[in-house]
Amino acid sequence: MTTYTARPVLRRQAALGGKHLILLGLSVLMLFPLVLILSTALKTDEDVRSNPFGLFSSVSSDNLVTAWTVGNFGDYVLNSFLLSVPSTVIVVVLSTLGGYAFARLPFPGRSLAFYLVVLGLLVPFFTYMIPLYFQLRGMGLLNTLLGANLVLASTGLSFGTFFIRAFFTDLPTEIEEAARIDGASEWQIFVRVMLPLVTSGAGALAVFTFLQNWNNFLVPLLYLPSGSYRPLTTGLYLFLGGRSVDIGPLAAGALITILPVMVLFVVMQRQVTQGFLSGAVKG
Amino acid sequence: MSTDTLPVARPAGEPPRAAFRRRGTPVGPPRVTRGAQTRLGLLMVAPLMVMVVVFVLFPLGNAVYYAFVDFNGINPRPPFVGFGNFVELFRDPSVWAALKNNVIWIVLGTTAPLVIGLALALLVWGTGRSSIFYRIAFFVPYVLPQVAIGVVWGWIYDPARGWLNRALEAVGLGSLTTGWLGNPDTALYAVLGTAVWATCGFVFVILLSALRNVDTELVDAARIDGAGTLGRLWYVVLPQIMPVFLMVTTITLVGGFSVFDIVFIMTGGGPAGATEVLGTYAYGNAFQLNRISYGTALALVITLMAIPFAIWLNRLQRRLSLQGTGA
Repeated sequence: MTTYTARPVLRRQAALGGKHLILLGLSVLMLFPLVLILSTALKTDEDVRSNPFGLFSSVSSDNLVTAWTVGNFGDYVLNSFLLSVPSTVIVVVLSTLGGYAFARLPFPGRSLAFYLVVLGLLVPFFTYMIPLYFQLRGMGLLNTLLGANLVLASTGLSFGTFFIRAFFTDLPTEIEEAARIDGASEWQIFVRVMLPLVTSGAGALAVFTFLQNWNNFLVPLLYLPSGSYRPLTTGLYLFLGGRSVDIGPLAAGALITILPVMVLFVVMQRQVTQGFLSGAVKG
Repeated sequence: MSTDTLPVARPAGEPPRAAFRRRGTPVGPPRVTRGAQTRLGLLMVAPLMVMVVVFVLFPLGNAVYYAFVDFNGINPRPPFVGFGNFVELFRDPSVWAALKNNVIWIVLGTTAPLVIGLALALLVWGTGRSSIFYRIAFFVPYVLPQVAIGVVWGWIYDPARGWLNRALEAVGLGSLTTGWLGNPDTALYAVLGTAVWATCGFVFVILLSALRNVDTELVDAARIDGAGTLGRLWYVVLPQIMPVFLMVTTITLVGGFSVFDIVFIMTGGGPAGATEVLGTYAYGNAFQLNRISYGTALALVITLMAIPFAIWLNRLQRRLSLQGTGA
C-alpha cells in the first residue's frame, strides 16, 4: 500500500526536479548576455586586451570611471532622467484624467474622441515620425527638452488612457452614488473617492511608461539631433559607432544604461508584468 | 447553522435599502449632476486631446500629405505628384528586397517567440513559488534598452573571439563559425536571433498568466480519461488560452511589421542591404537622402499592410474570448 502511493509522488518529485534543472539551465542562457556586460565592464584593461569577451578574472572600476568621465555617461544619465521623468508625469496625469472622463463621465463627442485616442495605439510611431520632425522644427521645439518630452509623452498617452480607463470602468457605481448623496461635487468624487481606488493601476502605468521612455531610442535620435540633452540610449549608440573605443568602457556604458532599468524592474517586477498583462488583455 | 432565514439587523440610523432604489423615477443622475459631469468630462479630456491631436493626428495627416507630394525637406510648396511615390515604390527593387526581409522577420520573429514562450510557460506552470525567479530571468531582456542589447550581442557574434563561434568550436562544429553580422547570408538571422531572445520573455509572462486561469479539473479529467501529455495540451489547455495566445500573436506580428530599432542599431541595414527592412529603408531615404516624401510613403505602406492582420486577429480573439465566457 505504501509503495503503491509513494511511487507516483516520487516520480512527480523527480519530474519537478528535472523541470527545475532545465529551467535553471535556460535561465543561465537567458541571463548570460547580462553577465557578459557586467564582467566586461568590471575587468581591467589588460584583462580586456588579452581576453576581450571572456568572463572576468580581475575586478576594477577603471572602465566605469572612463565611461562616466571621458564617455560623458554622467551627463547622459542626467539627460535620461530629464527626458523620462517629466514625460512620465505628463502621461500618468493626462491619462488618469482622460481615462476617468472616458470611463465615467458623459460628454458630447465622447466616443469619437476615444476612437481618435485609440487610433494612436494602432498607428506605429514610425509612420508619422518624419512629418513630426518638420513640425517640431517649425514649432521651434527641435533640440529642446520640452519638445522631446512632449513627443515622448504623446507616444505613451494612447496606451495610458486605454489602460487607466479599464481600471475606472471596473469600479462599482454604488460608491460614486453614495458620495453624490453625501453632497460631494463631481471633482471631489474623482479626487477623493475614485482616484485612491486606481492608485495601483496608475503606479503600474508610471513604472511601465518610465521604462519605455528611458529605453526610447528613436525620439532622442531624431528630435535631439544636435546632441544637446543626449540620453543614455543615443549616447551609447554614439559610443558604439566610435571605432577607437575600447570594449571595456563600452561595456561600462552599457552597464550604466541598463542598471537603472534592472533595479526598477526587479523591485517593481510584479507591477511591470501585471501592467503589461492587464494593459494587453483588457485592450 | 442556517442563517439565511434570520432577519439581518440593520445598523441604527441607516435608511432601509429600498429607499435607494427610487422606484418609478427615471434611472440616472438628475439634470444638475449631468451638466456638471459634462463640463468636468470636457475639461478632463481637453489636455489629452490637445496632445494627441498636435503630436499624433496632425503629423499623421501630414504623412498622408507628404506621400502625395515631392517634398525634399526644403521646398516650401512641394509639387503634387499623386501616386508617383507609390508607383516608384513598386518599381524599386530595394523595396522588394526589404519587403522580403520583413516577411522573413514577421514569420520567424512571430513563430519563434510564440513557440519558445509557450514552451517556457508550460515548463514553469506548476513550479510554485520559484516561478518568480524564472519570471524575472526570462522577462528581463524584454525591458532592456535595445542599444544595450545590440552592444552585447555584437560581442557574442564577434567573428574572431565571440562566444557563439567559440561555443561552436567547443562542440566540434568549428566549420560553422562565421562573422555572423558581417556575412550577408547570416546577418538577418543573427539580428533576428537577438530579437527573439529579447521578446520570448514577453510571450512567456503573458501565457504563464493565461495558464494560471486554466481549469485544472478539466485537465485532470482528461488525464483520467487516458489523454496523453500532448493530447491534454492540444485538446484541453490550448483552447482555454487561445484568446490570450491570439492577442500575443497580434502584438508580435504588428511589431514585426514595424521592426526598426534593433536592425538600425546592430547592422544599419547592411552588409550590402542584407538586413535592410522597410523601416530602415524609409529612414535612410528620409534622413540620409533627403527623400522625405518617398520615405513617408514607405512608412505609410508598412502601416497599411499591418492593419488588416491586426484587425483580423483581433476579431478572432474577441470571438474566442466571448465563447469562453459563454456570452
